Amino acid sequence: MNLTRVFTKPMVTSPERQLEADEDYLVVKRVQAGEVAAFDQLITKYRERVFGVVYNLTANREDSSDLTQDTFIKAFQSINRFQGNCSFFTWLYRIAVNTTLSHLRKNRLRSFFSLEKIQEDGASAQVLEQLTDRKGADRDTYLRELQEKLNEALQKLSIAHRTVITLFEIDGLSHAEIAEIMGCSEGTVRSRLHYAKQFLQGELSRYLHS
Amino acid sequence: MLNPDQRPKVSLEDLLRLKRAERPAPEFWATFESEMRQKQLAALLEKRSWWQGLSQMLVRHAYLPIGATAVLAFTLVSVKYYVPAQPSAVESTTTAKPLAAVNRAAVPSPATVTTVAATQREAPAPAPAASTSSVSTGTADDAVAVPAASEPAVQVASATMDSPSSRYIANNLDSLERTDPELVQSVLGNRLSAPARVQSAALLTDELASVPTGPSRRSRLLAHYTDHPITREPTAPEIVRERLARRLGDTDISDRISRIGLKGDQVSLGVTLRL
Repeated sequence: MNLTRVFTKPMVTSPERQLEADEDYLVVKRVQAGEVAAFDQLITKYRERVFGVVYNLTANREDSSDLTQDTFIKAFQSINRFQGNCSFFTWLYRIAVNTTLSHLRKNRLRSFFSLEKIQEDGASAQVLEQLTDRKGADRDTYLRELQEKLNEALQKLSIAHRTVITLFEIDGLSHAEIAEIMGCSEGTVRSRLHYAKQFLQGELSRYLHS
Repeated sequence: MLNPDQRPKVSLEDLLRLKRAERPAPEFWATFESEMRQKQLAALLEKRSWWQGLSQMLVRHAYLPIGATAVLAFTLVSVKYYVPAQPSAVESTTTAKPLAAVNRAAVPSPATVTTVAATQREAPAPAPAASTSSVSTGTADDAVAVPAASEPAVQVASATMDSPSSRYIANNLDSLERTDPELVQSVLGNRLSAPARVQSAALLTDELASVPTGPSRRSRLLAHYTDHPITREPTAPEIVRERLARRLGDTDISDRISRIGLKGDQVSLGVTLRL
């Protein structure tokens, strides 16, 4: 395992990500030059992904909405400090994760679910098809129960483990990107990921292959 | 509700992929956008705290004041420990005339100005040689341009030495010295009168001035022994020589001879003498 890769910048792993990072940097340059309206492009482009990260960490849609807005406000206020050492995407994710973790630490005792409806399209429809052959009310009830069990299991994880598995399995980031966002080593990311998966396997064993 | 054990099972990754499908409805983003605009405007109009601006300024320009701070600190230290050479004020409780001679010997400058600051308007002045005064020396420029620097010391000195009681005691003592100097000598030991003290001080100053300032201890030792030249055959003191002659004339000297030696035309005796 090469740990020096953790500190290599920029942390862009694929050509598509590199192209996206270059495009974002041009927009950021315009915002830094004073074209404030250009920041709306970045908001529109990343709001769903940022909301997804925050939502999967908090399991509360209202909190997620507020925290996503706070993330963009912080990014806008600090846009002049962005020097392009990493991709804008990574930088924005870091702000989102730090804002969410701060919120979770402050409201450790106040946690309740406020879940979004599962949109059945593509891969999710295929998974749901495998999980149930029922239709109508039974299917909705089952999906609701599954969603709650899944969120309960995620919320039982520590904040760090939850963040790692959310960024890796749900948002599809690489180990290096997660390490850059969380400010830890790739080995730590892998270790946390392994532990989180083992924990979820035990919690959701009724729904999973043995 | 269906029994979960009877349902087909999936992998954990598939199950977690369902979380990606938990997305808000499109109308949610309209609300989100309006709230976002309000927060953005509020953030633009929000007055930032002074410490936030200060911290940003420090972070942004931290590298710049480091050198300036170092230079400033060096300047302050230099100013604090720099002591310019200034003529020192000399205080004495004597008359102006002999002290002026001492001051001339100490500071041989043609531009020396002797300033007598002590006022004698309160003193009856029966004996001007014993009057108490404070004298400060300095250049003419210093005396004119910086009067405030020399005045406080003079005032303090005159205040401490010009009290009526001290003047009264000094006058009485001087008159007693003139009338009965032996009494004064016996009562006060080797106390010298004021003119005598100044005279001896002047002599001491001349003597010190004549000593070279190089290796001082060595010079003083050499100067001390020039009056007593060292001979090759040192002479014993008179009393020692008398005692030695007396002992040699004693009859029991033969009893004290412990060793007799002959070497050519010399005879050596080993004698134990008790002087």
